[in-house]
Amino acid sequence: MSNTIDIHIPDIGDFDKVEIIEVLVKKGDEVQAEDSLITVESDKASMEIPAPSAGTIADMKVAVGDKVKQGSLIASLIPSDSTSNSSNDTATTDTTEENMATEKPAPIAATNNAEADQHAQLVVLGSGPGGYTAAFRAADLGVEVILIEKYDNIGGVCLNVGCIPSKALLHTAQVINEAEEADHLGVSFNKPKIDIDKVRDYKSGIVSKLTGGLIQLAKQRKVTIVHGYGKFTSANSIEVTEEDGTKSSIGFDNCIIAAGSRVTKLPFIPWDDPRVMDSTDALELEEVPKRMLVVGGGIIGLEMATVYDALGTDITVVELGSGLMPGADRDIVRPLERRIKKKYENIFLDTKVSEIKPTKEGLVCTFEGDKVGSKKGAPETDTFDRVLVSIGRSPNGKLIDAEKAGVAVNDWGFIEVDKQQRTNVDHIYAIGDVVGQPMLAHKATHEGKTAAENVAGHKAFFDARAIPSVAYTDPEIAWMGKTEDECKAEGIEVTKGAFPWAASGRSLSIGRNEGMTKVLFDKESGQLIGAGIVGTNAGELIAEAVLALEMGADAEDIGLTVHPHPTLSETLNFAAEVAEGTCTDIYVPKKK
Amino acid sequence: MSIKEIVVPDIGDFDSVEVIELLVAEGDVVQAEDSLITVESDKASMEIPSSESGKILKLKVALGDNIAKGSVLLMMEVDDSVQAVPEEAPSKVPPKTAEKPAQESIKREQMAPAKSTPSKASAGKVQGHKPSPTAKIDEVRFSKAYASPSVRRFARELGVDLGKVEGTSRKNRINRDDIKGFVKKAMSTGGSGTALGVKPMPEIDFSQFGDIESQSLSKINKLTGEFLHRSWVTVPHVTQFDEADITEMEAFRKQMSKEMEKDGIKITPLAFIVWAVVASLKAFPRFNSSLDSTGENLILKKYFNIGVAVDTPNGLVVPVIKEADQKSLVEISQEIRELAIKARDKKLKPSEMQGGCFSISSLGGIGGTKFTPIVNTPEVAVLGVSRSKMEPVWNGSEFEPRLILPLSLSYDHRVIDGADGARFTSHLSKMLSDIRRMMV
Repeated sequence: MSNTIDIHIPDIGDFDKVEIIEVLVKKGDEVQAEDSLITVESDKASMEIPAPSAGTIADMKVAVGDKVKQGSLIASLIPSDSTSNSSNDTATTDTTEENMATEKPAPIAATNNAEADQHAQLVVLGSGPGGYTAAFRAADLGVEVILIEKYDNIGGVCLNVGCIPSKALLHTAQVINEAEEADHLGVSFNKPKIDIDKVRDYKSGIVSKLTGGLIQLAKQRKVTIVHGYGKFTSANSIEVTEEDGTKSSIGFDNCIIAAGSRVTKLPFIPWDDPRVMDSTDALELEEVPKRMLVVGGGIIGLEMATVYDALGTDITVVELGSGLMPGADRDIVRPLERRIKKKYENIFLDTKVSEIKPTKEGLVCTFEGDKVGSKKGAPETDTFDRVLVSIGRSPNGKLIDAEKAGVAVNDWGFIEVDKQQRTNVDHIYAIGDVVGQPMLAHKATHEGKTAAENVAGHKAFFDARAIPSVAYTDPEIAWMGKTEDECKAEGIEVTKGAFPWAASGRSLSIGRNEGMTKVLFDKESGQLIGAGIVGTNAGELIAEAVLALEMGADAEDIGLTVHPHPTLSETLNFAAEVAEGTCTDIYVPKKK
Repeated sequence: MSIKEIVVPDIGDFDSVEVIELLVAEGDVVQAEDSLITVESDKASMEIPSSESGKILKLKVALGDNIAKGSVLLMMEVDDSVQAVPEEAPSKVPPKTAEKPAQESIKREQMAPAKSTPSKASAGKVQGHKPSPTAKIDEVRFSKAYASPSVRRFARELGVDLGKVEGTSRKNRINRDDIKGFVKKAMSTGGSGTALGVKPMPEIDFSQFGDIESQSLSKINKLTGEFLHRSWVTVPHVTQFDEADITEMEAFRKQMSKEMEKDGIKITPLAFIVWAVVASLKAFPRFNSSLDSTGENLILKKYFNIGVAVDTPNGLVVPVIKEADQKSLVEISQEIRELAIKARDKKLKPSEMQGGCFSISSLGGIGGTKFTPIVNTPEVAVLGVSRSKMEPVWNGSEFEPRLILPLSLSYDHRVIDGADGARFTSHLSKMLSDIRRMMV
């Protein structure tokens, strides 16, 4: 019987990648052992890769232009019966199989000779904060730009269904919470009357003000906005499908993919039930439910929990991991954890939701985990009025036919880029959520500028050393650079300085004492390499730490910088002094 | 008894030379012309002699210092009784001059940065801005370098690996000037073929093939290498081969040498070649010229200074015989010998290696038939001389043994045409074959 064998690139010497410059056989061809199959070219020479045995080519797995290395799959072969006995034994084919993963060849760009309806030097696919920044920066550098956006409003998730609307609602929540807490300042307000429509209008007003502003900015720069779903048709063209189905093609010399990410949807969740929400739905604020389950204890879930809690909903948070807000140091998260444990109905860690069953009474959720059923753990099932699923976001790399442009997209949907934001295709760049974590608007904007400048012929690199993260919870949590946990894991020795806000007059005067500012200095260089802040306005305060890190400041530099008193910003100054051992606002026993 | 400053005398046209050796110490008593320090310039090292006799009170220079003409070397208690020097005699060159050339060289450096201005019109089509293959940047090191974001961006624009740059600001922070300085240095010492757009040599670990030993090149090796590399890649070379029948010349030379032997005088074949070259240069003035820096003007020289390549244990140097047209064969022979000895003893003064019009590289004493010398820019031609050999030459009726000297003339084809190259070597050959012609 003839069974197919895989033919791999044999050991061709010390080469990472060689390019296939010629394919000498095709599917169905009969070959003899030692017949050449393909020609590859390295830095030094070209060589032909021979067939290990005689047979018929069942399938060619590579094409001209692909990069291959030892172990890469070239073709499958049906050995001819007459020789199969001997050849199978001596075949060199399998030897490399185990230690060499097959290299996924980069896709080959389709060719498109059709005339495009429109053409631009630069097409930016996606108008989120990264996309519009890239488009505007390129336009300012004299590049002619078309910006493609699938939704009616430009601005992407951030402006329309993310950062901005959530912050509008969080401000509302803060006002409610502060009024309630004013009680112990000796000022009592009546229970607030909440007009949910007006709350929503306030949020929407801010969004439309900002998106309107963006349209204005685009006009001033002569950036053409095309609405519709853009997909690549070749390495130099995109087809845009408008909502009504009309299609048009746009040709480009350069492209910046800023296609962003979408909410990750677990398959077992009944998304067609309107009581099941993702973050976008939750921002719509259809109603204030009585009991709500938040699936996922990350930034988005906890921010929305903050909003609904303030509006009067009883919140239960369920998190698969062992702690809330993964990625931040535990000591920074703990004050939040403590506060919301008191405020919320339940917080279940190490627990997973395995089923959500819509019933008339509500959404019946089944929990799974070691602690489920125990005294402190989640019940087996519970019924909620609404469920918010916020377990993360997935990149949109696979939704734009990137392969037709020859752009490689990895298994997760991310597009890999170099430090200049360039994809494997020289004139196509990618930025923002679609290129990797962290999926944050401020990362995207900086990457967008880098890409735009490179399109305009500059030589720009994304060289940021820290990207800050902020959770607008109450209290706020912000961190940047390396966390203490990361330093431990990477074996980086640090000098740490932590300043508890209980010793800050400013913090106490606003009625809060749970905050903390923590700074980490590299023992070797003395420079700041990480910081974490929890407390009111942590998100604003972290910016100074990022600047200090980028400028290579050490504890002395921060400690000697005069900060205004009494402010929360002083806590960074004090934390640096603690690290130095010169802080007078708390007592730190001398290290021996 | 009086105290005097001993300053660096005129050492030729050098901005600054490095002190590589101190030959005296404080308290030493020295005589005039005793060597005080050794300095090293781009081209050679030399000893600086004392202008006075006396006792050294204080050294004002240290190893590694850069000095120039007028720099104060040391303070000396001069023995007036030995040498009555009038008060106004000591060369009171302002000691500050040492710093000025340095500043000038910095200014010059700042003018060079290569700026790539993107053309707006081609913005869409410009796609070739991949980092150049030679700009190998160690990203880990780059990410740890102590530099602010704007300085990092600047480094990226120039393709500078920040990890290799030494910071001069507070706490060794890297500033923009440090990057400029790094680039200037890389540009002046580089020469890894980047300008030619070729890929750099791959790094090969030779130890994987067998035992190796790493030896650093001498300073002369390095400088000669850079210089020759520049000449090789910038000058379009053509080499013209020819021969000269020096049977008569050698007979005459040997006879003269014999006659003058008792006076210790020896005439070398090279002296005849220098003479012949001078005669040929007079006949073909374009060979005694240089292109100016713009490459648009030819500078014709009315003097005849001939460089003679000397092989030394430290590398190749080319001392120059000045005004060779004014010197006799004996004088030239002697001068060549003196210069060669000085070169081997590292005593050549920079001024003795400057001002050449045309160079001669003679390998006649070693062997070989022909070779292709590299033009000693900014000169436009160089003569290579190989070993002479008895050869049978047809005189019309029979073969006759004649002493034949192979000549190789390399020239800058931008200045000299092929026909002129051949005319020059035939002229030269004629001169050497019948030395009487040189007198005409």
